[in-house]
This record gives sequence, C-alpha cells and structure tokens, in this order.
Amino acid sequence: MTFITIVVRGLLRRPVRTGLTLVGISIGIAAVVALVGLSSGYEKSMTEQLDQIGVDIVVSNMAGGFLPKVFDASLQGKIDKVPGVAKTTTVLMEMQSVEEAPMIMVSGREWGGFTWDKLTVTSGRLPRDGAEHAVVLGRMAAEVLKKKVGDKLQLEAEELPVVGIVDGRGVVENGAVILSLQALQEITDNAGKANFVDVRVKPNSTKEEVSRICGEIKKIFPEGRAVVTGEVVSTSQGFRIARAMSWSTSFLAIVVGVLGVMNTMLMTVFERTHEIGILLAVGWKRRRIVYMVLCESALLGFFGGLIGVALGALGVWVLEHTTGIRGMLEPDLSPKLLLTSVAIAVVVGVISGVYPGWRSSRLSPSVALQA
Amino acid sequence: MVETATTGSSDVVYEAVGLKKEFDGGKVAALRGVDLQIKQGEFVAIIGPSGCGKSTLLASLGSLDRPSEGTLTYRGQSIPDMADPAAYRAHEIGFIFQAFQLLPTFKVVENVQIPMFEGTLSRSERRERAVELLKSVGLDHRLNHFPSELSGGERQRVAIARSLANGPSVLLADEPTGNLDSNSAQQILELILQLHRDLGMTLVLVTHDLTIAERATRVVSMRDGRIVSDRVSATSTAAI
Ligand SMILES: Nc1ncnc2c1ncn2[C@@H]1O[C@H](COP(=O)(O)OP(=O)(O)OP(=O)(O)O)[C@@H](O)[C@H]1O
Ligand SMILES: [Mg+2]
Repeated sequence: MTFITIVVRGLLRRPVRTGLTLVGISIGIAAVVALVGLSSGYEKSMTEQLDQIGVDIVVSNMAGGFLPKVFDASLQGKIDKVPGVAKTTTVLMEMQSVEEAPMIMVSGREWGGFTWDKLTVTSGRLPRDGAEHAVVLGRMAAEVLKKKVGDKLQLEAEELPVVGIVDGRGVVENGAVILSLQALQEITDNAGKANFVDVRVKPNSTKEEVSRICGEIKKIFPEGRAVVTGEVVSTSQGFRIARAMSWSTSFLAIVVGVLGVMNTMLMTVFERTHEIGILLAVGWKRRRIVYMVLCESALLGFFGGLIGVALGALGVWVLEHTTGIRGMLEPDLSPKLLLTSVAIAVVVGVISGVYPGWRSSRLSPSVALQA
Repeated sequence: MVETATTGSSDVVYEAVGLKKEFDGGKVAALRGVDLQIKQGEFVAIIGPSGCGKSTLLASLGSLDRPSEGTLTYRGQSIPDMADPAAYRAHEIGFIFQAFQLLPTFKVVENVQIPMFEGTLSRSERRERAVELLKSVGLDHRLNHFPSELSGGERQRVAIARSLANGPSVLLADEPTGNLDSNSAQQILELILQLHRDLGMTLVLVTHDLTIAERATRVVSMRDGRIVSDRVSATSTAAI
C-alpha cells in the first residue's frame, strides 16, 4: 500500500459522488476545449487563408462590428502609390444569412485582383467579368447551401446564378460565396465601397519595410488600420470579442468546476472527520492530511480534465460535422490546448482542496475521534 | 526525539503536576488538578466511576487533547509544547481504544501500515512488518479482510498490531476490553500484558474491571477529576 492507494481509496469511498463531481468538472473543461479550440481554429484558418492568397497587409476601418465598416474604394489608388507596395486589391466582405445557411461569408472581390488567383475551379467556371451578376461557391459553401452549378442563389433581393464551384484550399474560402466586387456593391447598395484593401508588398521586403509601409498607409487613412497578415485576425475587433467571450465562458465553467470539487471535498472532509481523527491519533502529521486532501482533489481534477478534453474534442467534432455550420469551422485542438486544459483541471482540483484540507488539518484528534 | 530528561529522574516517563482540563469554556471540569508520576516499565491501571476523567487523562498523556492548566511531561519534555506532537504519537506511544478505531475502507493488513507512513520503511518493508505484527497477535489468516468482517476481539488485535507499528515504548489503552465478551476480553488482556512483560513496555490502562486492575503494578483511582488513591497492587507482583 502506498500513499496514492490511500488517496484513491478516499475517492472510491463514494463512487457516485466522485463520478458526479467528475462529470461537473469535465463539462467545464469540455467547454474550455470546445470554445477555445473553435476560436483559435478560426484565428488560425483566417491567417492561413490570407497567407495562401498572398496577402501581406490588410487595410480596413478601425470601427465596425464583427466585420469592419465600409470605406470609399478610392483609397486603393492612394495605397498603390506607397513605395514598396507591389499590388493591391479591394474586397467587400459581409457575413449574411443566405437561404438555409444562418451565417455565411459573402466575399465581393475586385475583378482581376490577386484574390481570384488561388481559386481552383472544380466545376463550372469563374464569372465572365466584373459586371456579371453571378456567384461561385466554395466547396463547403456549396454543400451547406445544397447548390450546384446552374442553380440560383438568393442574395439580398436578387437571384444570382451559381456558375462555378471552387476550391480555395482553406476553410474560409471554401465556406464562402464569392462574386465580383462590382456585383456585390450593386446588390448591397454599396456603390464605390469596400471594407478591405489587401496589399501585397514587393518580394523580399524586410519586416522593417513592411512596418514602414503600414505606417505610411496609416497616414493616408488615419481612421483605419494596416495590419500585417499574421496579426490581422488577432487584432480584429470581432475576433477579440469572440476570444474574450470564449475565455470568459470558459472561466465561468471553471468557476463552476471549482465550486463542485470544493463542495465534494468539503463533504468528504466532514464525513471523514472521525477517520481523520484516527489518522491524527496514530501519528499522522497535519501536513500529511492536508496533502492527502489536496491529492484527492487534484486527482479528481486530473481525471475530470482527461474526460473533459475527450468530451470537448467529441463536441467539437460533432459541431464540425453538423450540417448548417459544416465547413465554417476548422477547430484547432492543439496538443498545447489539450494539455493546458488538463493542467487547468488539476489546478482547479488543487485550489478546491485548499480550504477543505485546511479545515481537516485544524481538527483536534480527540474531538475528531468523538465525531 | 526525547531521550534526555530535563527534570526528574531519567526513568520517569510521565509526570503531571496540577493537571486540569475544562470543556465548553469552563462549564465542564474533567480534570481538576491531577498529580501523577509514571515510571519506565510500570503497568498503571486507572479506575473510577464513569465521567471521572479517566479518558481525558489518557488523551492528555497521548497528546490527543490539550490540558487547560498544569504541566505534563513525557520523559522530561512538555507534551502540550511539543514541536512535533505527531512524531510523539507515531513513534513513542501506541494508543488502544475501546471502539478499536480502525479505518473501515482499509483491509486489516493496510490498517496496520497506516502509522508506518510516518516512518522510513519502504513499501514492501511496511507490508512485511504489518504481516509480522499481525502474526504476533494471531491474525495472519485475516490479512485481507476488512474490519467489518472481523469479530470484536479480532478487531482489537488489529488495533494492537497497529499500535505497535513504529515500535513505541509506551502503550496507552482506554478500556481495551470494554466492547468485548469475557472470553475475548481475557485474550486481549493477556496479549497486552504480554507486551508489557516481554517488551518491557510502559502500560497505562483505563478500566472499569477491577479484576483487570488487580493485575497492574499500580492502581490509580479517580473521582471527579482527581486522583483519590494511588496504591501498589498487592497481587500484581505475584501475578507477573
Ligand atoms: N469533548 C468534550 N466536551 C465536553 N465535555 C466532555 C468532553 N469530553 C469529556 N467531557 C466530559 O468530561 C468528563 C470526563 O470525561 P471522560 O471521558 O474523561 O470520563 P471517563 O472517566 O473516561 O468516563 P467513562 O468511564 O464513561 O469512559 C465527563 O463529564 C464528560 O462528559
Ligand atoms: Mg472513558
């Protein structure tokens, strides 16, 4: 028999209660895994997407909600003149509910701009020109909307023909409805407006040059911002809100977990007062008893964490494969997130055990024996 | 830990002077000034009517409870002021209770090992020693039973084996046969007396049973929290 045997025996005394506590803490940890996994997956796929297309700097308005506010597309001409800039292209992006899909990215891209280059047509064709009111669908978007080439798609007040299905090598592109900037401007009554200018800098530009270019764009467009691709998502207002929400929800879930474990450990300690009295009477140090309680609650946390990580990963998988949001999510369940979640669970366990452990160590042996 | 005596002669194990213990903020006076000296190798029986403070005195000796007033030393060292009372309970004394006080979720052989976590034995040494101790109390055929599966007498044997876990020199027993039928009571008593005799352990035993008390080297009678008589037992020298 080892000390760990004693700790485990303590937990197995009340298997149902231990089980329920595990459920409680694992749901909290599952929430952490799912929410953080989804939001960091979103961040990662956005960034990868911009890299794929070859965007170095993204210029947008500072103000706005999930997506930045529109501005006058003539800004593009001014940015073109900034030394070091190789190419620019404007984009009008909207999140819309389209037919069956509750939220889908609608991306209006300047005709001839480099954002069209990386799209591979898997069936049908691209729009003929910038004026054609026609859409192409990313692979996933086509599945979600249940459309194929030749179908019609209702966008705002207009019905547009689906002329092609494209593979954009990334969850954002594949989940989007793509059409020419001009067409989207006309449909959404945003003539001459855009909300992004994507900038490609001259090849082999150094980091310093890129940030100098950002600075100059900022001078031309004081109410906007110019962000290097790698940072574009993490600095976006919408993403910051999403991340804050996922962490604060996670935090709440963790607090609930702490309360659950603490409640269980307090009950255990009260219920075992007599046995703690025996341990004290046969010469166990108070420190050892505190340590025993802490180990029990840490172990609860550890197993709750393992179960929670499994539950969270399963939940994310189910979400990922649910029609309706399918193709919009590419969760990032990195080993780091999974390990962090288990670590959080263990810390939750230890923290929850501190007060019960302290309570138990303050018992007088003779009083505890009479309990 | 406590080898050198700072007061009294070196064979004095316990010395109480003016020992008092109150409960409930002074409403109950369990000990009202006890003076007592116990020497190495003695067998002291403490008798007296119910509620006179016998258990309270024994708990003070065992550092399970703090006296309210007076001094109490173990081999010259103040018990209430010990820096590490757990070490004293674990290594210097063995405590035997009327209600056995075994841990219900641990097997017999595990119960005996519990105090050894305060020692330096390895996992296998702990088990070996527990088996040995259980053998010495005649319970080596019950190693993997839970306390609830044993008779009262068998449970008290486990408790005795546990009290010896770290090789103490003093045995404190509070009505160890109080919950047993006369047959098992007799066996448990013989076992305890054997420890006193063969290992030379100092034995302080609380009892209601005058026939048990008669076998002690000294009989201390208490009443209302005080010692009313302290005599050398007449028959004891003959019995041992
Ligand atoms: N924890 C406590 N709180 C309050 N009063 C107590 C407590 N422990 C003991 N007492 C009281 O102290 C007095 C002495 O109790 P103690 O248990 O020492 O008696 P005892 O001589 O062992 O009696 P018995 O033979 O019935 O075991 C009793 O009046 C008892 O009610
Ligand atoms: Mg008593």
